Amino acid sequence: MAKETKLAANNVEKNMNLDEKTANVLDVQDMYLYFQTGKGIVQAVDNVSFALERGKSMVIVGESGCGKTSLGRAILRLLPENVYKYEGSCLLNGSDIMQYDDERFRKEIRWKRAALVPQSSMNSLNPVLKVSDQVAEPILIHDLADNKEQAREKAAEAFKKVGVPVDFLNRYPFELSGGMRQRVAIATSLVTDPDFIILDEPTSALDMLTQANIMNVLTKLKEEIDISFVLITHDVSTSSEIADMAAIMYAGQIVEFTDAYTFFGTPLHPYSERLMASVPTLEADDEELGFIPGQPPSLINPPEGCRFAERCEEEFELCSEEPPGFEMEDDRIVKCWLYREGGERDANYGK
Amino acid sequence: MPTTENNLLLQAKELRTWFEIKKWGFIHVGHVRAVDGVNFTLERGESVSLVGESGCGKSSLAKTIMGIHQPTEGELIFEGNSVDSTDEQSMRQYKSEIGFVQQDPYGALPPFMSIQRILEEPMIVNGIKDKDKRLKRIHQVMEELKMTPVEDFLKKYPHMLSGGQQQRVVIARSLVLNPKLIMADEPVSMLDASVRVEILELIKKIQSERELAVIYITHDLSTVRYFSERIWVMYGGKIVEQSPVRNLLKEPAHPYTRALLEAISEPDADNVHNYKKVPSGEPPSLLNPPGGCRFHPRCEYMIEGLCDQEIPPDFQLANDRLTACWLFRDEEEAGDVAL
Ligand SMILES: Nc1ncnc2c1ncn2[C@@H]1O[C@H](COP(=O)(O)OP(=O)(O)O)[C@@H](O)[C@H]1O
Ligand SMILES: Nc1ncnc2c1ncn2[C@@H]1O[C@H](COP(=O)(O)OP(=O)(O)O)[C@@H](O)[C@H]1O
Ligand code: SF4
Ligand code: SF4
Ligand SMILES: [Mg+2]
Ligand SMILES: [Mg+2]
Repeated sequence: MAKETKLAANNVEKNMNLDEKTANVLDVQDMYLYFQTGKGIVQAVDNVSFALERGKSMVIVGESGCGKTSLGRAILRLLPENVYKYEGSCLLNGSDIMQYDDERFRKEIRWKRAALVPQSSMNSLNPVLKVSDQVAEPILIHDLADNKEQAREKAAEAFKKVGVPVDFLNRYPFELSGGMRQRVAIATSLVTDPDFIILDEPTSALDMLTQANIMNVLTKLKEEIDISFVLITHDVSTSSEIADMAAIMYAGQIVEFTDAYTFFGTPLHPYSERLMASVPTLEADDEELGFIPGQPPSLINPPEGCRFAERCEEEFELCSEEPPGFEMEDDRIVKCWLYREGGERDANYGK
Repeated sequence: MPTTENNLLLQAKELRTWFEIKKWGFIHVGHVRAVDGVNFTLERGESVSLVGESGCGKSSLAKTIMGIHQPTEGELIFEGNSVDSTDEQSMRQYKSEIGFVQQDPYGALPPFMSIQRILEEPMIVNGIKDKDKRLKRIHQVMEELKMTPVEDFLKKYPHMLSGGQQQRVVIARSLVLNPKLIMADEPVSMLDASVRVEILELIKKIQSERELAVIYITHDLSTVRYFSERIWVMYGGKIVEQSPVRNLLKEPAHPYTRALLEAISEPDADNVHNYKKVPSGEPPSLLNPPGGCRFHPRCEYMIEGLCDQEIPPDFQLANDRLTACWLFRDEEEAGDVAL
């Protein structure tokens, strides 16, 4: 990928220590990932910024097609061929890993520092490899073990962490249930002991009880080891199971970034509000499930102003211009003209 | 409401649908007991949700009800008459009383047919020879589903429509024969979140306007209360609990139902500190199901010598509820068993 290599060559990266315990484990600033297609340029990730404090986990929530997977791939530099624009900065423990060349990124960052459990990874395990060998693979690739035996030991350790019985080590993927395969996929991301793991829709294809099981596994891992999860999901309810922070994504952009308590309690952005209102609940006595009429805009030539404007009930003149992300008093960030820096929501801004 | 002969639409008695499994095409291995002793009653105009995890037999039950699978054992009674799968004439009539909305609109609509042709097809098959009559019905149904202007849709082909519009066409097709029952098998699970609720609301609307009975199949228990009055919970080829939705959500009876409700996440930031209580193990193999209660290997209330030996029958509870669990053998209400 010519583009990214050029970017790296232009900036001789400062010497920074990846082991440094900076306040933020991950700090993404002005991230762009556009794709070139026959129909035009797809703005899948459009100027996204957020920072994740060490020891915390976050969710990226949004409807399908809003760019969640692309954002995860941009952070881990797992890019397709048709990239049109890929830029921004991404600080891992304070070091800008966007400046690393591909070789260094592969050797020092991907899997070792930052891992990904891709969407439907439980169905993409290698069918002819025993699961122990699949889990051991990242260890061997990164020379994190002296020999195969040691690698298998580490794999067994990872299995234990995610609750796969050790005698499953010698089985093939088809001999395991969906829930067990998903645990194996998570174990694969754990063996290299990364600082953070991006989990892309880890439970969407699973049944209710299995989903709950996987969420329990993640909660336990969070308590037991020093790790941050970045959970990507379209499911607001399950996202609450491991979220300390929540990023709400709409049409390629993050429209709200806040801590989970405020988000699940009082979402600020009109899109977040509507999204929360459309979440089915067991107990409230609302008779009807809310929904957001209309469709998200195309990411090819999206509207110039606020991307939610067409579906927003509060839209007003200012909204034909793109709102910046306003930082509220309590550090929440809201990308909407109903708000102002350091301020509260004020319907008068609409007047 | 007691079920009287009059408002009873459909009844199943000890319904079984087993699939034979053969190795290399001829060595008998066993049977997958996808539907294994199902009993229910469904009233006219009633909306029921059939909920259960994937593989528990929901689609097989749906297809058996629709006459696509022939039951291995047991009986279906429609409007007082036993459904006789050997009688072609009456089967065609029976099948036309049930509209089918399947999971995947892309797979459900033949790509080479125009929407008009797709909607005419069931009427042609059922001998409605008068083209004007067919078109009139189509217009009526499409207007009911707010697919207007109708003419614009009729000329189109499935690929020219969005997923939500395609699913509307599937719904329209299920309605052109004026059925008495709609079978909706996970009708929105393949659709984008933004159109799901719209489609479900649409099904709810036609259900109440046409006084249709609807069986809404889903694995998503959290949406059920918005769309149905009653719920059937299925596990391992059997219906283990039948209840009005609200009573079940407030006071689940069967231990499996209780486990499902515990497992569901509600959007609450406090969840981050809590673990979910989940029964150990996996759903049973239907090729070799456990004896006694199918849930017994995972059930923490299992009564030894009973649950692992004897299949629990449906016990009647107050508020028109049934549950197939031995814990309720001497009880009258769901709340009588504190778990
Ligand atoms: N390699 C690619 N080339 C062109 N468009 C892509 C590519 N990958 C994703 N997209 C488009 O980018 C948008 C965001 O996709 P994605 O990141 O997968 O969203 P999500 O994960 O939220 O569903 C979608 O419109 C999708 O079609
Ligand atoms: N035609 C068939 N032949 C053999 N097995 C089948 C057939 N249809 C379904 N099954 C099996 O029956 C069980 C129940 O399947 P299904 O009714 O599709 O469940 P659900 O709809 O609840 O996911 C599964 O084990 C499935 O593999
Ligand atoms: S900026 Fe305007 S259109 Fe966009 S969400 Fe806010 S009020 Fe609605
Ligand atoms: S019958 Fe026994 S094993 Fe089955 S659910 Fe009831 S208590 Fe549990
Ligand atoms: Mg995705
Ligand atoms: Mg099914």
